[in-house]
Amino acid sequence: MPNFRSPLLFLILISFFCTQLSCTETEVEALLSWRSSLKDPGCLTQIWSFNTSSDSCQWHGIKCNEGGSITNLSISANCSIDGTLNKFNFSSFSNLTRLEVEYKQNLHGEIPKEIGTLRNLQVLYLYGNLTGEIPATISNLSKLTNLDLSGNQLTGSIPSTILSMPKLHFLALSGNNLTGEIPTTIENPSNLKILDLSYNHLTGAIPRAIGHLTELTIFYLDNNELNGRIPLEIGNMTALRDADFSYNNLQWEVPTTITQLPNLSILYLNNNQLNGSITPDLGNSSYLKAIDLSDNKLIGMVPSSLCSGGALRYLRASNNSFNGLLPITLKNCTTLIELKLETNNIRADISLTFGVHPNLEDVDLSQNHFYGRLPSNWAKQIFLLSLGENEIYGKIPSGFLNMTQLQLLNLADNNLTGDIPEELTNSTSLMNLILSNNNFSSLRYIQAPSLESLHLSNNRLVGRFPLLQINWARLMTIDLGENNFSGEIPSWIGSSFPVLRILRLRSNKFMGNIPLQLSMLKNLQLLDLSNNNLTGPIPNTLSSMHTMTVKTAPNQSYFALHYVHEKNIDLIWKGKEATYQENIALLTGIDLSCNYISGKIPDDLMKLQGLIFLNLSRNQLSGMIPQNTGNMTSLEVLDLSMNHLSGTIPLSISHLTYLNMLNLSHNKLTGQIPPGSQIQTFIPSAFSDNDGLCGFPLPNNCSTQNNSVVPVTNEAEDHKFEVIWLICSVILGFVTGFWVYFGALFWKNSLRFAVFHFTDKVQEKIMKWFV
Amino acid sequence: MGAQGMVFGILGFLLFATLANCNTEGDILYAQKQAWVDPNNVLDSWNQSLSTPCTWLHVTCNNDNSVIRIDLGNAGLSGSLISQLGELTNLQYLELPMNNISGGIPTSFGNLTNIISLDLQWNALSGPIPSSLDNLYYLKYLYLNGNNLTGSLPVEILSLVTSGSLITLNVANNSLSNTTQPPQIKVTTIIQDLNIISV
Repeated sequence: MPNFRSPLLFLILISFFCTQLSCTETEVEALLSWRSSLKDPGCLTQIWSFNTSSDSCQWHGIKCNEGGSITNLSISANCSIDGTLNKFNFSSFSNLTRLEVEYKQNLHGEIPKEIGTLRNLQVLYLYGNLTGEIPATISNLSKLTNLDLSGNQLTGSIPSTILSMPKLHFLALSGNNLTGEIPTTIENPSNLKILDLSYNHLTGAIPRAIGHLTELTIFYLDNNELNGRIPLEIGNMTALRDADFSYNNLQWEVPTTITQLPNLSILYLNNNQLNGSITPDLGNSSYLKAIDLSDNKLIGMVPSSLCSGGALRYLRASNNSFNGLLPITLKNCTTLIELKLETNNIRADISLTFGVHPNLEDVDLSQNHFYGRLPSNWAKQIFLLSLGENEIYGKIPSGFLNMTQLQLLNLADNNLTGDIPEELTNSTSLMNLILSNNNFSSLRYIQAPSLESLHLSNNRLVGRFPLLQINWARLMTIDLGENNFSGEIPSWIGSSFPVLRILRLRSNKFMGNIPLQLSMLKNLQLLDLSNNNLTGPIPNTLSSMHTMTVKTAPNQSYFALHYVHEKNIDLIWKGKEATYQENIALLTGIDLSCNYISGKIPDDLMKLQGLIFLNLSRNQLSGMIPQNTGNMTSLEVLDLSMNHLSGTIPLSISHLTYLNMLNLSHNKLTGQIPPGSQIQTFIPSAFSDNDGLCGFPLPNNCSTQNNSVVPVTNEAEDHKFEVIWLICSVILGFVTGFWVYFGALFWKNSLRFAVFHFTDKVQEKIMKWFV
Repeated sequence: MGAQGMVFGILGFLLFATLANCNTEGDILYAQKQAWVDPNNVLDSWNQSLSTPCTWLHVTCNNDNSVIRIDLGNAGLSGSLISQLGELTNLQYLELPMNNISGGIPTSFGNLTNIISLDLQWNALSGPIPSSLDNLYYLKYLYLNGNNLTGSLPVEILSLVTSGSLITLNVANNSLSNTTQPPQIKVTTIIQDLNIISV
């Protein structure tokens, strides 16, 4: 048995054990002392523990070399440590090659400068909430190949020597708060294969030295504040495959040298300030898969060689000033999936633009100057098709309609004519049908069961209300305005549209009464029936339209989301026409103006506390304005003009603090105009042509006028009185006339003779003429 | 030669300045929205991404898409008034009664040269009544009552009675100190021609 009292023997024994147990004491001590410095060591308490058979080299996440020195140290994502690297003794780990701390734990504080002493380090991944600057000493890690500090909160500039590290081939600093410029000294030639500096606040220009990055395949600089030119030297980056420079302030032209890049597959330059035109050769020597040039100031032709590599799937160039698109660009582009060229000035013949595209799913060419006739049989798989606001004419060809997956069709604001084909109106896939502002003249009944919105306004459509009595489970918008529809508004409307929000039938020839069943439309926000031939009363059950009774709720996002594909709803309120887009979700209004509606304004209407505008003008409404009009506290616009309303203006109107447009003119209202600071803001013409009204802002005072004392008579009684007078005077006239004549004849002989003589003569003359 | 260059330079700068269009009316109103606390979400429709504020609720524009009315009485708003509101040069009606708006009345309101009605009654405004309001030639109704305004009523504002359009002035229920009577305006004239409720 060894004598432990001998220190030398003890040391020999320990070192013997240490070698056998394959651990380096200093390294283990450093690990453990770092662990004890952590606020929360997380899983390390269990993972880094000695039990009978484990040594440090067998701990999870630790790997050692043959000499027992730690080479790999990784802490996995679910370890949940909370602490800093301040007490990590870097100089102990001379053989460390991989140091990885994975995402989603709270590694905070700064990166210590001492990290530069890990002279054998090849891979460094540090994720967490690290702050402070990237230490320049990192450039001393001469063997470093992979550096990933993404997703922290690092600040300051990128160290100027970092792109000169000779062995580095993966550098990712994305998602920090880095500022300053991209280092201009880059190793030549550089070994970098992947460079990701996206989502920071980098400024300045892209350095010309990027030409040295001849091995670089992935280059992400997006979401920064870079400006200046894209350097010509980009043409030297022959390995470049994916380049994303989007969401910066890059200016000037896209360099023509980009066309030299043989491996270019993805090019995102969108959301910058690039101008000038793009060389047509772009795409000629590569297999371009996706290109996004949107939201710049580019002009000229859409480059015609984009698809020449036969691989183009995604082409986006919207929101620029492109003015032409050659037929050759897309003719043979059979791989195309998405085409977005909306909001440009492209003048091209749409019938020549396309070939056959079996993979095409999403096309948006709206807001351009495309002309010509719609092509047929060009894209059977298409989901979303927007060609609105162009100059396309002719009819919808039947071959156009083999699109069995079509969900959105927007052909609005063109010059299309003819039929709206049955294939469209019966399509089972169609959700949004937008054909407004064309010259369509006929359609069959619509029974597309998935329909969410139907916009047919401003065409020449005729016939009865064109939807069938089916269960329209999803239909939210019906806009049939500005057509020649006729007949009655069907009464089944209330039960067939459970989620209807907008019913716009204005400017047609609908007649009959407003169906009571409209009040069953619980979700209705906009009811526009103006400028029709409707008669009868306003239904007194409209307060059941629940959405109009509540003040606008904070969460309108559901409805707003569905307007992703909606373009416009045209409303006339606040005295002028306005086009509503996203804000439509917050609007509630009823417009029944320009009809022949009669009867009284129902008191029930005043329960609509969420109603924002109410226009009942130009009808034949009678009776008084309901006393509790002031209950409509959301009301901004109230137009009751040009009716036969009588009585006084209810005092409660002065409670409407949001009211900014009031028109009560051309009625038979009497009495004093209610006082109040809100009412004071309306000009006298809001009250004009009401004989009995007095008080501010009208010039006539109430107390000194007879007007104010005129008894309040019911309109119906007035009318009755008039009729009685008419009948009496007729009878009186008849009686008087009879007795004057008869009396004269009776009493005066000479008169009698004269009259009868005259009558004989006339009779002879007439008989002579006949015979 | 040098003078010519300078002229061109100045013209160019002016052109640039007008084109720069830094603070549109929508931007101003949006900044005001952010300065206010809006528990009832009445300003939900104030969406900055729209090109004009003319489709916003509580905002009315003229035919040139310039703001002429803001009607937000009894809307539950608190926070303060930003001075950029004074840049809404076409504003005719600013109706903000019965809220909890605090802070001072911006002196920039003196730049609202087209204003006809300024209704700030029943809020929590403090500080003085700015004398710059005497610039408001078309102002007819000025409601400042029911606040915590201090100082005295600037005599310049009373001149709006004789040389402006002011017919209603209400500064009651504040913490104003005694107003000095301007010597040239007779008391009787005020009572007859001006609905002055009380000071």
